[in-house]
Amino acid sequence: MHDVAPSLLRITEAEARKHQAAYAYTIDEGPLSDWPKFFTDPCLYRITTRVNEERKMPLSIMLCDNQAMLYDRVEAVEKANIFEPHFYRHILSDSRVLSSQDDSLVLETSFICVRSMLDGRMDLFTAGKYVDHMVKQEGRCLFKSKTVVLDHSRVDTLIAIPL
Amino acid sequence: MLADPDKSSGHGNREPSWPVEGVRRVPFVVYSDAEVYEQEQHRIFKGPIWHFLGLEAQIPEPGCFVTLQIGNTPVIMVRDGHGEVRALVNRCSHKGTPLAIVPSGKVDQFMCIYHNWCYDLTGRMLSAAFERGVRGKGGMASTFRREEHGLQVLRVHRIRGLVFGTLNESTPPFEEYVGQGHIDNINRVCGRPLRILGQYSQRLQSNWKLYIENVKDPYHASILHAFNGVMKQDRLTMEGGIIMGARGWHHISYSKMATDSGGEVYRTAQMRSAELAEYGFGLRDRSMTEIWDDHGDGVTMTIETIFPNFVLQQLRNCLAVRTIVPKGTHESELMWTAFGYKDDDEKRTQGRLKQANMMGPAGLIAMEDGMIGGLVQKGIAGNLDKAAVLEMGGHGIEPIPGSRVSEGSVRGFWTGYRELMGL
Repeated sequence: MHDVAPSLLRITEAEARKHQAAYAYTIDEGPLSDWPKFFTDPCLYRITTRVNEERKMPLSIMLCDNQAMLYDRVEAVEKANIFEPHFYRHILSDSRVLSSQDDSLVLETSFICVRSMLDGRMDLFTAGKYVDHMVKQEGRCLFKSKTVVLDHSRVDTLIAIPL
Repeated sequence: MLADPDKSSGHGNREPSWPVEGVRRVPFVVYSDAEVYEQEQHRIFKGPIWHFLGLEAQIPEPGCFVTLQIGNTPVIMVRDGHGEVRALVNRCSHKGTPLAIVPSGKVDQFMCIYHNWCYDLTGRMLSAAFERGVRGKGGMASTFRREEHGLQVLRVHRIRGLVFGTLNESTPPFEEYVGQGHIDNINRVCGRPLRILGQYSQRLQSNWKLYIENVKDPYHASILHAFNGVMKQDRLTMEGGIIMGARGWHHISYSKMATDSGGEVYRTAQMRSAELAEYGFGLRDRSMTEIWDDHGDGVTMTIETIFPNFVLQQLRNCLAVRTIVPKGTHESELMWTAFGYKDDDEKRTQGRLKQANMMGPAGLIAMEDGMIGGLVQKGIAGNLDKAAVLEMGGHGIEPIPGSRVSEGSVRGFWTGYRELMGL
């Protein structure tokens, strides 16, 4: 690894932000099949609630720990599961870095997500924070883990599309 | 609008509008009418039913409590100083303020925030602020008796870490209420000390009964939930059946995954699974389907309901309890608590957590249940004089041996509903 230029290994906050923004746009605009590409393999993607986190309860609303599971979710959402079609619009806050090393960054970012249905309805669907562990692999920023912590423990109707 | 049950035999203008066909019809009005909703509060939720309160594991130590609702009534489940589980109506005897205003906690006593009336963990009133006035002046009237103002206490039944309560004095003993088959399955699923893995809830934009009907309807499970059918998780072509509880009010649906036969119907019939088969849809990751036999009987799925609104779920190794709480004619809240066993090793706990992808608001199987009731509610809105048609498997509530292609368990729910509602 010593002959790799340090700039290829180091992950900057600006790069992390860019990755985060691209992630949110991919979920909101599609294609959903690009969603797994933001993660390492293995990885950890989970949606949980603030209450479960505080009580150290391990249950997730959604849990994927490798690329195959991420793709399974995409296929299920696109082909098997039935729900009223809808779109998300994520609004992200500035991030704060919790810890950083040359090739890895742990940061959290607040979000709200607005859900719009085809019949014209729009609701504030969820609010919470991302706790992300980002790494750099082969020059690319990736989520080694992404924990979506919802501030609320009640979800309206269903979560089909990942957050 | 349905006629007032008390006057249904009278000669008023209103006729009782339950269709003459009986429980193979369900008048749409019962999902929408405010008067029906109010009647349910009295006749069902305060009626002779056992309502699920929670798991003992939620209140491991004296003073630990959780709050919940039985219909509209706020309730506290608490472990008292002697380790007994108590259930109290969460309402101060003074002005009616809830005593516990958070979902869970640990206390020595319940003190109302409004005027600091205090109650012990069994509901006995201990004191009121300024009960004797100030410097000998004022204070409670001479007619005031603390012992007359304790909290309303519920009758409680504990079984294998599950706690049920009732607001009604005439509710029969729990075993008699549910029947032996239900006791056996609780012993089976909850036969070892439980460990809670987590909780969440879902807001459903539908009447609570549309959800419990859906749970009791094995007919839809592999059809609406294409994931189930295509992934061969639970199909009607597997060996399985229905066990009806006492009076047909409760049910257990079960299946054995290893026994699927004749499953080609899912590829050839007029069903969505046939279209999906063309995609060659299959799980890339096998870790979620790496299951083990928790109970040594090859039964991979059991869904047990207890009238009116409780579900005990075993989907492979994914275990949970659910309660559907009415929140209005067109809204309900589905409460989920996932659990495993205290003696699970890390591998099994992880297995259960992965399989939990099948349940809840994002459940690969359960997700459609969150929205189907809301859709039905939209569909029936203009036609509340019409009724649903429940004739799969006949007219009755008797299970068909070896078959789950039946709505008998749904008709069983309506049997109990009609009896308590007097409809």
